[in-house]
Amino acid sequence: MAVCTGCSLLCDDIEVTLESGRIARTKNLCRKGLGRFRSLYSERASPRADGSEVDVGDAISRAAEILSGAKRPLLFGWSNSTLEAQQAGIALARKLGGVIDDTSSFCQGPLMELVIRGQMPTGTLDDVRNFGDTLIYWGSDPTSSHPRHMSRFSYFPRGEKLQKGFEEDRTAFAVDVRESPTAKIVADGYFQIPPGGDAEFIEAILSVLDGKMPKVQDKKRMISFVTTLKKAKMGFIFPGLGLVYSLKDRLDLFSQLVARLNEGVPFRVIPMVGHYNMRGFNQTLFEQTGGINQVSFADGEARRGQENGIISALDSCDAALVVGSDPVSSLPAAFARKLAKIPVVVMDPHRNLTADLARVVIPTALSGLEAGGAALRMDGVRVELAPVVEGASPSDAEVLARIREVV
Amino acid sequence: MAELSVLVVTFRDIFQSEAQEAGRYGEEYRKASALILLDRGDADRAGIKDGSAVTVASDAGSVVVNAGVDQESHPGVAFMPNSPWSNQLVSGQVGPSKIPEFKRIEARLSSASGPVLKIEELLLGIVQG
Ligand code: SF4
Repeated sequence: MAVCTGCSLLCDDIEVTLESGRIARTKNLCRKGLGRFRSLYSERASPRADGSEVDVGDAISRAAEILSGAKRPLLFGWSNSTLEAQQAGIALARKLGGVIDDTSSFCQGPLMELVIRGQMPTGTLDDVRNFGDTLIYWGSDPTSSHPRHMSRFSYFPRGEKLQKGFEEDRTAFAVDVRESPTAKIVADGYFQIPPGGDAEFIEAILSVLDGKMPKVQDKKRMISFVTTLKKAKMGFIFPGLGLVYSLKDRLDLFSQLVARLNEGVPFRVIPMVGHYNMRGFNQTLFEQTGGINQVSFADGEARRGQENGIISALDSCDAALVVGSDPVSSLPAAFARKLAKIPVVVMDPHRNLTADLARVVIPTALSGLEAGGAALRMDGVRVELAPVVEGASPSDAEVLARIREVV
Repeated sequence: MAELSVLVVTFRDIFQSEAQEAGRYGEEYRKASALILLDRGDADRAGIKDGSAVTVASDAGSVVVNAGVDQESHPGVAFMPNSPWSNQLVSGQVGPSKIPEFKRIEARLSSASGPVLKIEELLLGIVQG
């Protein structure tokens, strides 16, 4: 069985048939996962330095030169790398006295921080399958982002205590601004809110919990919703970027809601982390430095601060190493422009926009397919990855170790 | 067409993710990404046909994408798959959380000022900007 690294569910039941060393057939992959497996054979990166094709060794030497010559290098990405590569990346940042940050910085970071610090009750996806009878997909759309979430874990499967699955044993809700494919599946459980309306929606639930009339149009429906939540044997909330982006600095309101629900019944939160090992990076960096992202090692000491998050760091960093990520695509153009102005080294299995403007490109193995290692699933469960095929490129961890030797 | 003001919310779409895995530079990814989904009433009022190209402009920038008309009703709100095209519209100004407003972009739609750009052309704009 192979593991899919297409999203943070890390499905470990993928059957692969090889023919002459190439993947010929697979079983159990979703569309997104199939895309990831097929990407083995499309748009692969090739080694480059200063506009010319070079060999990997030369690309690594040039990368080391750029990084050691920088006063404040930014080491960014990491959510698509194994735990081993993440450790090697942190060690490199330490040696360079640089700044390290990952995609969680402008994504699920604020919520993941609460989970990792133990300030938000959480559980595993196996708990969801076995015991989760009341589910809220909040600002998340697993059908699109984590296509097998509902079928492997949360909605459809029979569980230890839930032998009748979604037909009778599970009640699911979706809170979203868009009637997403997930909202369509939960049908009557869909609450449409206006953009930015999450805080008000939370306040309405809190009002009902306080025995007050909620300030919403359909009071009856809100009261019946909260009544269902209060009857949960074990509830789970799956918050997506919709919730995190909408609440931003008011995430404490969500914490307050979760705490209030937990006064009556157990309610757990599993953030819908996108990239396959974002949680791994956050946890690893936290264990080593006390910060889940946005850490600087300047002057040999680990310091956490917003100034080290990519959004702010682009104003102060004078070179960047980008690993397994494409910030030029995923950041607002205003920030991508800033990245375009400094020397960038990219390590990636594929060509992407950041690689196109990079000074140095080092192609790497696609983890889970060409390189092994381990990763943490969205719920923190460790999953071992083993290579399925032989690739031509070294793993992230190997390249990072080689850079570290020479800087 | 008449000008139309909307609040743009970005989202992730499975077909777009699949297309991205298959090839960020491919036509399929561009089709699945350079897109704005409108409420039917809004589209009718502004005279925007399903599949026609429109310019979407915010205070941060502008981009030409294809318009789609949604089955579901969401007047005043438009949805765009999160991509380098939608990122042309997201502001470089951030609040105390330092998280850009990916999901709340005030924008105006007008007749297309040119073709839908290819991803390489967007990159060129970034490098030259
Ligand atoms: S749900 Fe995620 S991990 Fe599972 S097969 Fe699909 S992309 Fe891969």
